Amino acid sequence: MNLMLRSLRHAVPCVALLVSVASAEVAAPSARDLAAQLSNIIQDGSSVLRLKMDINKAGGGGKTVLQIQVKSLRGKGSTDLIYQILWPKDRKGESFLIHKAGGRAPGGSLFTPPDSLVPLTAAKIKDGIFGSDLAYDDLLDNFFAWDNQAIVGTEVVGRVPCQILESKPGKGDDTGYSHVRSWIDTKLMVTMRVEKYRGSGKLAKRIDTTRVSKGDSGNWVGSSFSLQRPGQDSVTEIEGSNSKHDVTFTAADFTPEALRSLK
Amino acid sequence: MTFFTIVLRSLTRRPVRTCLTLVGISIGIAAVVTLVGLASGYEKGIGKQLDAVGIDVVVSNMSGGLMPKSFNESLEQKVAALPRVAETTSVLMRMMSVEEAPIMMISGREWGGFAWSGMKILNGRMPKDGSEKAVVLGTLAAEALKKKVGDTVQIEVEELTVVGIADGRSMVENGTIFLSLGVMQEVTGDIGKINFVDIRVPPNTSKEEIDLLCRDIKGIFPEGRAMVASEVVGSSQGFRVVRAMSWSTSLLAIIVGVLGVMNTMLMTVFERTHEIGILLALGWRRRRIVSMVLCESALLGMLGGLVGVGLGVLGLISLGSSPGIRGFIEPDLNPRLLLISIAIAVVVGVISGLYPAWRSSRLTPSLALQS
Repeated sequence: MNLMLRSLRHAVPCVALLVSVASAEVAAPSARDLAAQLSNIIQDGSSVLRLKMDINKAGGGGKTVLQIQVKSLRGKGSTDLIYQILWPKDRKGESFLIHKAGGRAPGGSLFTPPDSLVPLTAAKIKDGIFGSDLAYDDLLDNFFAWDNQAIVGTEVVGRVPCQILESKPGKGDDTGYSHVRSWIDTKLMVTMRVEKYRGSGKLAKRIDTTRVSKGDSGNWVGSSFSLQRPGQDSVTEIEGSNSKHDVTFTAADFTPEALRSLK
Repeated sequence: MTFFTIVLRSLTRRPVRTCLTLVGISIGIAAVVTLVGLASGYEKGIGKQLDAVGIDVVVSNMSGGLMPKSFNESLEQKVAALPRVAETTSVLMRMMSVEEAPIMMISGREWGGFAWSGMKILNGRMPKDGSEKAVVLGTLAAEALKKKVGDTVQIEVEELTVVGIADGRSMVENGTIFLSLGVMQEVTGDIGKINFVDIRVPPNTSKEEIDLLCRDIKGIFPEGRAMVASEVVGSSQGFRVVRAMSWSTSLLAIIVGVLGVMNTMLMTVFERTHEIGILLALGWRRRRIVSMVLCESALLGMLGGLVGVGLGVLGLISLGSSPGIRGFIEPDLNPRLLLISIAIAVVVGVISGLYPAWRSSRLTPSLALQS
C-alpha cells in the first residue's frame, strides 16, 4: 500500500496537469444576448430539410422509420411549417401544416392520403407528430424569444462545455411549459440539450443533440437528435440528411391544399 | 540467470499487476489501430474510387464539410477548353439517408461521361438515357437497401426504379447509388448545379504539366481548387478534422497507458530496492540497472502493443461490418499501421520507464541493502 502511494505521488501531478488543461474556461455572454443570438439563428427564413425519424417503442413496440420532408418559413413573430412523409410507401403523403403568428394560438391542417384533410385542433397540439415523441407545439416554441432568460450554470455535455440557459415565458408567450433549460455550446452556438418542464416543475421532455455538422449556410447546426419523455417507453431519433436555405416559396406553398401534393 | 531472465522474472512476479498494465496500454494501441485505420480506410477508399473511374484531376470546392459545395455546371465547358485536358465529366454527389439506411453516397453522373464507363453491370442494365428516372446500385448499396432490379428507391420526393446492380470496383463505388446527373439535379432541386468536374489528361502528361493545368483551373475558378486525384481527400477540411480527431483521441488513450506503465515500473523499482542493492553490490553498473528497468518497460510496452493490435484489428473488423460504416469505409488493415502501433507501444514503454530507471540508478548499495 505504501509502495502504491509512493508511486502514485509521482503520477498525480501528470494527471492534474491534464485535468487543468481540459477545464479551460469559456467566455460567457449575457443570458439575454445569448438567447437573442439563438433566436435569430432559429428564425432562419425559408428552408427545405429532409430528415430520417426513428421511433423506437420499448417492450416489443417495434421501430418505425420515416423519411420526412420539412418546408419551413420562420420569421420574426411568425412560423409556417409543412411536414410530409416521403417513405415508407404505405404512409407516403401523410402530412400536416402548422402555423403561428404573433401571440395567436397555433393552427393548421392534417392530411392523410388519399383525401382526408382535417383541421389541427388545439386538443391535438400537444400530441406527437406521426406517432413520435416530438409534439406539434415543440415545432413552434421559440423559447429563446421568451421574456425571461437567465444563465443558471455550466456543464459539460458530450465533452462540450456548455452554458445552461433557463428560459421562462412572459405574459404574452403561448406555451404549455413552465420553463425550458437549454445547454448551449457558445463556441459553435449550437444547443446541445434541451429540457422542457411542465407547471409542476416535472421534466416533460428531453432533447439531446447527438451530432453537430456544418449546415449549407456555413453555420454549425445540430443535425441529429434524440428525444425522450420521462415515464414514456419510447425514444425518437431524428437525423437530418439534407438542408437548403433561402428557398423561394409562394403563398400557395403553405396552404392546406399544398398538403395534397409532394414536391 | 541471464539478464533477460531477470527482466522476464520481474514482470511475471506480479502477474495480475502486469496484466492490468497490459490492458491499459493495449486499449491505447487498440484505439490507434481502430481510429486511424478507419480514417485511413476512408482516405484509401476515395483514392480507389478515383482510380476505378480513371480520374486524373478533380475540380471542387472542398471548403466545407466532407462533401464539397456545389457550383454552376457551366464550369465544365470552361475546363474542357483548357490545354492539357483530354476529357471531362460533371458529377453532383450528395450524402443522405435513403429509406431505412443511414447516410449513403448518391452520385449523379453526367450521362455519357467517362464516370459511367468503369462500372460493370452484374444484373439488369444501365439507364436507357440521361432522362430515365432510374438508378443503378453498387453491390453494397443494394445489400444495405435490400433492393433488387425492378424495385424502387425513394430519393427525396421521387421514387426511382432500380434498373441495374453494378460492381464499381471499389468499396466506395459499391456503396453508392448512381443516377444520371439530370435526374439527380431534378430530384434534389439542384438544377444546373454540380460539385465535381472530373478530368482525364492525355497519356504521358508530366506532373509539371498537371500542375500547370491545376493553376489554369484556379484562374477560372478562384473559389475552388483543382487537385491531382491522389490529393483530393487529404486536402478536405472535413477529412483533416477526422484524421486529427482520430489521432488526438488515440493520444489521450496512449497517455493513460503511459501513466499505467510508469506507475507499474515505479512500484517495481520500489519493491525491488533490496534486490537492486544486491545487484549493485555484486558489481552491476548503474547503466546496467537502468537498462534492466528500460528493458522491462519496453517489453511491457511491446506486449501491450501486440495485444492492442489484436484488439484493434478485431475492433476494426467489427466496426467495418457495422451498418453505419459498411459499404462506406473499408477499414485499412495495412501492415505499416500495425507495425507503427507496436513501435509506438515500445516507445511508450521506454518513455514510461525513463523516470523509474533514473530513480533506480540513484540507489546506493548500502542503503538499498538496509531497506
